Amino acid sequence: MKISWYAVTLALLVAGIIHIIAVLGIPQIAPRNAWTRLTTLADVNTLVVLPQPSPAQLILHMMAPDMRYAICRFDLTRGPVRISTRIPDELWTIAFYDSSGTNFYTISGGDIKREKIEIIVSTQSNALLDDETSALIDSEDSLVVNSPNDLGLVMIRAPLAGSSYADRTERALHRASCGRILPGAQVAR
Amino acid sequence: MFRTMPKIVQLTAYSGLAVVVGLSSAWYMVDRGSRLTTARSGPWSVWYRAGNPDADPYTRAHFARQGRLPVTTTSALYYTANRDDEGDRLTSECDYSIEGKPLDAAWWSIAAYRSSGRLIPNKASRYAFSNRDVARGADGRFSIVLSAEPSPGNWLPTIDSDQFQIMLRIYGPRSSRDASGERRTDAQLPSIKRISCS
Repeated sequence: MKISWYAVTLALLVAGIIHIIAVLGIPQIAPRNAWTRLTTLADVNTLVVLPQPSPAQLILHMMAPDMRYAICRFDLTRGPVRISTRIPDELWTIAFYDSSGTNFYTISGGDIKREKIEIIVSTQSNALLDDETSALIDSEDSLVVNSPNDLGLVMIRAPLAGSSYADRTERALHRASCGRILPGAQVAR
Repeated sequence: MFRTMPKIVQLTAYSGLAVVVGLSSAWYMVDRGSRLTTARSGPWSVWYRAGNPDADPYTRAHFARQGRLPVTTTSALYYTANRDDEGDRLTSECDYSIEGKPLDAAWWSIAAYRSSGRLIPNKASRYAFSNRDVARGADGRFSIVLSAEPSPGNWLPTIDSDQFQIMLRIYGPRSSRDASGERRTDAQLPSIKRISCS
């Protein structure tokens, strides 16, 4: 078979296109995508504290055994979602991801410098909150985060200040909440 | 019919070449990383745009495929190592010592995982050491022993894990607050020395 350099060049060009499609496509189709794994754990707009990472149970790849996690998958199609939590330790980190796992916003306890925080997540389309919803937001402690899509997730990470802190850290995570801002609802304190 | 056969063979060969080169290069750059996406320092490697909103497609694909949700590099750095200082694969047949100076960070932690990313089961239920619970010398230096057999001091069990990997998480990395910061953190990274092999 005689090698045709024209065909080789064409093949490499096609290889380049396949390369680009594969790399761009992976976040959408990856079977182990974090979103897919977390969908089985809880409904949308509900906060769940993940079980302690152990050899038998590791929800996500390479989770930290000396950290505790809480997640909330949010769906903003019917309006903004509010996440409220106390921040007992400046090591805590609250990170927001779109459904392909891209981190679009992160805030750490050290940046917050407050004991509690309320974060309103909204899309560009519902960024302008109506008066009724605005009235329900405790403006002093709240922060508005714009999500690029309707679907996403927020993960609260709580590194343990030592193994004796595990119980109290888990209790603090259980007290955090995530849910739609419903007219007529009380502001979480 | 016979005259067209070589053309079909050629077409198949070139198409096969395109698919193999396209997919294998994509796999390599997503799985292992390249100079564009990862920085290496001794045995440690870090995806330096992990979790950043403007991360490149390779970094996004890497973490999506693993199913990990990293936070931005200004908040946390994730260094992984699957080889020792000499460049040999980490295996539970050998004992290692991770030695380092105190890292300039709010919190850091060193954990051992199987190649699959799962934690290594052990009776001591010890999977990691952080700056809050590692025993340190008067000068702040620490030494963590990775071995299958119990060891005094900071012992991280690597029982029956065949090949394994280590992750060093650095939260609130103080020297990485500016854009080129991660290179300065490298200088403080601990070493991974092989002690002996069975």
